[in-house]
Amino acid sequence: MSHHFKPLLPVLLLATGLALAGVPAFAHHSFSAEFDINKPIELRGKVIKVELINPHSWIHIEVTGKNGIKETWMVEGGSPNALFRHGITKNSIPLGAELVVIGYQARDGANRAVGRTLKLANGQSLFFYPSPLPSGVR
Amino acid sequence: MMLKRARSCLRFAATSLLLLAVATLIGAAEPYKAPRTSWGDPLIEGVYTNNTNVPFERSANLGDKAFYTEQEYAARKNAPAVVETTTNPTDVHYQTADFDLDPEQNPMVRNLRTSILTQPANGRMPPLRADAQRRSDAARAAQQAHAFDSAQNRPLQERCLLWAHEGPPLRPVGYNTLVQLAQTRGYVVLMTEMIHDARVIPLAKSRPDFGGLKRWQGNSWGHWEGDTLVIETTGFSDRVTPRGSGVPMGPEGKVIEKITRTGPKSIRYEFIVSDPSLWDVPWGGEFPMELTDQPLFEYACHEGNYGLPNTLRGVRKEEQTRQQKAR
Repeated sequence: MSHHFKPLLPVLLLATGLALAGVPAFAHHSFSAEFDINKPIELRGKVIKVELINPHSWIHIEVTGKNGIKETWMVEGGSPNALFRHGITKNSIPLGAELVVIGYQARDGANRAVGRTLKLANGQSLFFYPSPLPSGVR
Repeated sequence: MMLKRARSCLRFAATSLLLLAVATLIGAAEPYKAPRTSWGDPLIEGVYTNNTNVPFERSANLGDKAFYTEQEYAARKNAPAVVETTTNPTDVHYQTADFDLDPEQNPMVRNLRTSILTQPANGRMPPLRADAQRRSDAARAAQQAHAFDSAQNRPLQERCLLWAHEGPPLRPVGYNTLVQLAQTRGYVVLMTEMIHDARVIPLAKSRPDFGGLKRWQGNSWGHWEGDTLVIETTGFSDRVTPRGSGVPMGPEGKVIEKITRTGPKSIRYEFIVSDPSLWDVPWGGEFPMELTDQPLFEYACHEGNYGLPNTLRGVRKEEQTRQQKAR
């Protein structure tokens, strides 16, 4: 399994994908309660703050609009417990790294979003590892 | 003489083969003998994962087919760990396949079953009794009418108070699937990583005096039947509703759980739920769990629960917009 994840390449492991492996009924909250499916967004910005907190991690990015005005967006990601199991810590998500986020905006129209996909500027997909391996499986 | 000796040899060989086959069968049927704690109880301690892609209820088109064949199992082994479905078409959240993810990153505990539910035989929840269904419909309507009025009106798990998979009965959950079992003389503790719920289970033949302490998920006590830990739970709070019911358990509601070590690194978890005020028949099931080398992590849900205020903010904003348009 480890070929999907290289601990020595932390930049590739931002892993804030929302892929909490299905289970909508067990998800902490329903998508539609917090976000609006009719407000799809695409953001490109630099990481300025990382909150690895439960039930969801939040990545803050600074986005420069067409008019040159900078805005801060919060992007919701997966549970840090699952991220940590793949060696992903705050240090794995360097401040200043550029992220491309495709997702949906919050229902209240604020600069908050859920990241359906989060990729590095070079297009590298971010992986997520939601569950621990059974003993002996590597 | 030669012929007689040959026949004798053949008889001996056939008898030996027969005895070997019988011994093999007996050996295969013999259950795993769990090691013991220092005080003599079967040892079940450890951190286990129950990650699975087996759905809680069986697909209706599978009927009474309880197990996949090895070929069918291999074909679906990389299916995502979707164990529940949603009726809300806008719930696009948490769908693994949407996120460029490789299902192999999410290894499952081997389980050939087609559903976690094994009772009734069709692997599907029995219908609520007619009177319970009426109460359920009324409760849902009342809840939906005021679902976003305040934080207190939101579901327990959105408020980080209780997640349904914690049970009893315990149910597999799609991520952070760890369960820790700890034993002392006279107690067993069952702790789920998400959301950090520790159930302390006193060992007793009959219901102990819990000193007036009433857990929302009922009070549990257990005893050993051979190598199996049998846990009984009664006294559920009216804040908690069993799966899909929408209404709480009645005073006769009961959950029986059984935990049996099945090998050096595996246990079997079984459960039966009964409540004559809700269902005419009990329902139950089972799933395997495997030891993992990884530790349980803290899951401080409430502290970082931005989702709850964000949700209420969104609804207030929408109400405000509607009011402005109406003027």
